[in-house]
Amino acid sequence: MSTPAITVDGLSKRFRLYTDRRSSLKERFVRRQSSSYDEFWALRDVSLTVEQGSTFGLIGHNGSGKSTLLKLMAGIHRPTSGAITAAGRISALLELGAGFHPELSGRDNILLNGSILGMSRRQIVESMDAIVEFSGLEQFIDTPVKVYSSGMYVRLGFSIAVNLDPQILIIDEIVAVGDEEFQRRCFDHLYTLRRRGVTIVFVSHSLPLVQTLCDEVAWLDHGRLRAVGPAVEVVDDYLREVNSAERDRLGADSSAGQADAEEGEGDADAGTGSAAGSGRRGSGEVVVTRVELLDGRGTPVLALDHGAAMTVRVHYRAHRPVEAPVFGLAFLHETGLALAGPNTRLSGTATGTVAGEGHVDYRLPSLPFVPGSYMLTAAITDASTTHVYDHRDRVLAFHVQPGPGFQPTGYVALDGQWGRPQPVTRRSSAADDLAS
Amino acid sequence: MASPLVEVWAFRPLVWNFAQRELKGKYKGSVLGWAWSLINPVATLITYTLVFSTIFRAVPPPLGNGEQGNYTLFLFTGLIVWNFFSNTVNGSMTSLVAVGPLLRKIYFPPFAPVAGGAMANGVQTLIEIAILVVVMVVLGNVSATLVLVPFLCLLLALFALGIGLVLAVWNVYYRDIAYLVGLALQILFYATPIIYPPSLVPEQAFGLPLRALLLQLNPVAQFVEAFRDVVYELQWPSLLQLATLTVLSLATLSFGWWVFHRRARDVSEEL
Repeated sequence: MSTPAITVDGLSKRFRLYTDRRSSLKERFVRRQSSSYDEFWALRDVSLTVEQGSTFGLIGHNGSGKSTLLKLMAGIHRPTSGAITAAGRISALLELGAGFHPELSGRDNILLNGSILGMSRRQIVESMDAIVEFSGLEQFIDTPVKVYSSGMYVRLGFSIAVNLDPQILIIDEIVAVGDEEFQRRCFDHLYTLRRRGVTIVFVSHSLPLVQTLCDEVAWLDHGRLRAVGPAVEVVDDYLREVNSAERDRLGADSSAGQADAEEGEGDADAGTGSAAGSGRRGSGEVVVTRVELLDGRGTPVLALDHGAAMTVRVHYRAHRPVEAPVFGLAFLHETGLALAGPNTRLSGTATGTVAGEGHVDYRLPSLPFVPGSYMLTAAITDASTTHVYDHRDRVLAFHVQPGPGFQPTGYVALDGQWGRPQPVTRRSSAADDLAS
Repeated sequence: MASPLVEVWAFRPLVWNFAQRELKGKYKGSVLGWAWSLINPVATLITYTLVFSTIFRAVPPPLGNGEQGNYTLFLFTGLIVWNFFSNTVNGSMTSLVAVGPLLRKIYFPPFAPVAGGAMANGVQTLIEIAILVVVMVVLGNVSATLVLVPFLCLLLALFALGIGLVLAVWNVYYRDIAYLVGLALQILFYATPIIYPPSLVPEQAFGLPLRALLLQLNPVAQFVEAFRDVVYELQWPSLLQLATLTVLSLATLSFGWWVFHRRARDVSEEL
């Protein structure tokens, strides 16, 4: 945790846009002085750090510099100014199956592609069987890849990548390709890598995916860093801006729309955020200001041991006194599966009337979740749970680490108990015989 | 300079893989496959022998063992050197443009495909040399001078690679390089004593010492001559000649390396 996996310091990248490619010697000599290109700054003064073992997302509109930043991290382009330092071997997957030779067989291409990606020959030969099996292309592995379907092509490319054993993995939207089963395999693999402590940096336009997968997110806007921080917050901010830009665009024609937009901005400033981002909704009489995770000693943490005591502290602020609100939580696995949804109504806890600021705790004596990454959603509703005051989707992500009594499968460790094996008694077996 | 060298060493399996890719992909899909790599030079040898020996009656110098000269062998010796040189120069020139899509997606030293292409040519050349040596053994035209063959091959490879590196980068920025080089190679082929013995070149022409110009100032001619000395005429090249070739090769490679390294890392943006 001490040294960051990737440090980006004051990074800028300038591209030359050739208005009319100056690719001939004649032009070189004829127009030696005049510059026939425009400059374009794809990145300007970007600084950020990616922590070891974290999953880092890059978001932003098209052309905001996300892919350029990935390429600079991968070493494909050189920075114009500033520096990138990486602690660990970087593997970049910007395109699956890049570099396949169409005339060569799948097997030969595994050898070639593996070495382009930096694997040693022994490493490739050793993992050859695993790669072929993972790809599910045993039948076609000795035919030229030019006859492969595009799906087979990508599958083979991904299978090679799976066996790369990277320390830092850089991915550009590749998980968006392939069929449902393939995508699921991609995600499974990414989660496996994450558990193994691999640092992952990836670009995606799928914001729910980014929110689910990432610990931290950087938001790039026209080559500049707009925000960097916890995934949920940054994605919410980004969405809020996208939505307000859309409202502006739609409302430009009618003054009524304009008024709506202004009203929306005002709400957002007040911190109530009515329908501002997808991650947040509610009428705003009481809002969740912050959600904290505390360990057994009351220290705020983001990672806990399996089986340890845990407290979720929901901080709230009531803009006016609210009678008998219901506080609720949802625990989600990193895949998005909802694991549990405790609330004060279900447990019959009286909340009384809340006013001003305060917090409410939810205690778990023993954390039942198996090691992995989880997310928390917090909400405050009225007593009937139909009217939502504030709902903050995936407001907090946390990790569960292996502790005593670690359960490797499933999502939760059940509190059940096994009995001793009971042999069948003679009398009852005779009864069984009669019955049959 | 040090770190790129370290990097090249670390990526040497990749260089070999690019060479394999070249070799394996070359004749894939053709019925005769690898046989083409032998059919082509044999066809060239037959054609040139018919034209220049039978029709133009070029007389080759006698073999090193005193036997009468054989034009086909004389030609083959020169062609081996020339083919390696021109194939490497041509291959290197297009290699960066060819791997362009790959360079934009994956990081690897751009040196690797250029060196891999040269290595693939080297394999072809080694096969040709092996055939030539077998024929020379059958004719009884061998001597200790053959030990210089690997050394000369190495120098030729460094020289051709040096030129290839420069052209590879320039071709990315200026695509007319390819046409220019095609033309230059054609002229150079006839300016080099491959199809004719150097003794046929007039000492003086157009008021210039033509033979000296062609032979002394043309590095490829130097290589052809040295190679013919040790394989065909079985003479030891002079130390001065060997020293010249060594310095020339190392200087060319260093220059190529320098040009390549100044520009090659930004090639991914230009392709």
